[in-house]
Amino acid sequence: MSKQRDPKIEILSLYPHEIKFILSDTDTSIANTLRRLMIAEVPTLAIDLVEFHENTTVLNDEYIAHRLGLIPIKYMDLVTNRGIDCNGAFLSHTECSCEHRCPRCSVEFELDVNFDVMNVTRPENERDLPMSVTSTSLKSNNEYVVPGHFLNAEEQNEAHDTGISIVKIGPGQHLKLKAIARMGISKEHAKWCPVAVATYRFWPEININDELCSTLTHEQKQQLVDVCPDRILELDEVSGKLVVAENAWELATFTEDLKLLQETMKKRPEDDDFVTVEHSQDRFIFCVEGTGAMDAEDILMSSIKVLSDRMLYLRSKLDILKENM
Amino acid sequence: MNAPERALSFLLDEDSNEQKITYSADTKVSNAGTFTINKEDHTVANLLRMQLLRDPSVRFVGYIHPHPLIHRIDLKIQTASSTVAPIDVLQSATEDLAGETDHLITQMTEAINKWKKENQSGIGQFN
Repeated sequence: MSKQRDPKIEILSLYPHEIKFILSDTDTSIANTLRRLMIAEVPTLAIDLVEFHENTTVLNDEYIAHRLGLIPIKYMDLVTNRGIDCNGAFLSHTECSCEHRCPRCSVEFELDVNFDVMNVTRPENERDLPMSVTSTSLKSNNEYVVPGHFLNAEEQNEAHDTGISIVKIGPGQHLKLKAIARMGISKEHAKWCPVAVATYRFWPEININDELCSTLTHEQKQQLVDVCPDRILELDEVSGKLVVAENAWELATFTEDLKLLQETMKKRPEDDDFVTVEHSQDRFIFCVEGTGAMDAEDILMSSIKVLSDRMLYLRSKLDILKENM
Repeated sequence: MNAPERALSFLLDEDSNEQKITYSADTKVSNAGTFTINKEDHTVANLLRMQLLRDPSVRFVGYIHPHPLIHRIDLKIQTASSTVAPIDVLQSATEDLAGETDHLITQMTEAINKWKKENQSGIGQFN
């Protein structure tokens, strides 16, 4: 008997910032491991060191450095214009053989915004207002690496600023800094987290006991349909039977209402339920939303690759351990 | 001031020559032993444990993550007979998981390519 499982994936929807899919024929431990890896161990780029040359703004150095760290940094595929996995392109700074930093393990951004210099470029009616320094002012030294200004075109159209707002400056204020971005994982600091949300829910297994249901009156069946706040049941008009709604899997929230109502309807407490709703043990509905640093499908692929590398690493360590036993 | 370095939760401590996996056989129970895996947490431990439970030659398997601030897990395995050692079942479990993960990679790429072909603009919805 082969102990290896054979998981299946079916994609429900795919956008650059979000992916929804169904993972089936595998255990909850795989689903949970994928979720934990996506949240904590997918490598991304984020600003890690900041050298300030000039800061006469209202926010102090560490405040601005903290904000810079949280800006999502994209490693771009210039052909398709998507944010992709940076794991192969960069080395983590602990592994890199350079002394301090080099283009192999880090990316440098420069920012130089002087209110008095930039103000003349603004339209007349805005010249008295404070100026927003946004992520568009960060100039990278690597053409493949840019800050992620917006999640998608919709967000860009609705926004008031040209990018992620870092600080607002007024007359006489000047911000000049050099920021170094490095690769890291979310376990070290949440700024390296590639996802906003990575969750999964269980596929609902809804079983209707037709035999027992035929003993119910029409009003009782209507009660069962109405008590569910997620509307997973329907009353078929033609036959008068209780049926499961078409998209029940999307709506199900596993509430207790149905169970409690059935307790009152049953003739004896040890009778079977008319309708049972249970968690499936091997089918999961995932929803992964990115922050804009990486496309959602790349986050998922990266997490599976991290898992693969981890298993191979553990296997090689076990081989060494066995030899030395 | 007393906060430990965050990187130590996933990087092995080179100064003290920390090993990734160590094993100590159980003295009181036959065919049993405990693997101590450093710098890992529930992510890997639960995965290994559930995979080991599928192996018929495993009589007992359990893991402990002693404290959130202590970055190691203890995985205890007892096999059903002395012909199969705990390290053998753990090796085959990691093999199976590596195979399952490769399978996932191919499934994932196929599913994405199929989706992109069916929805040429790359943006669309199921049903």
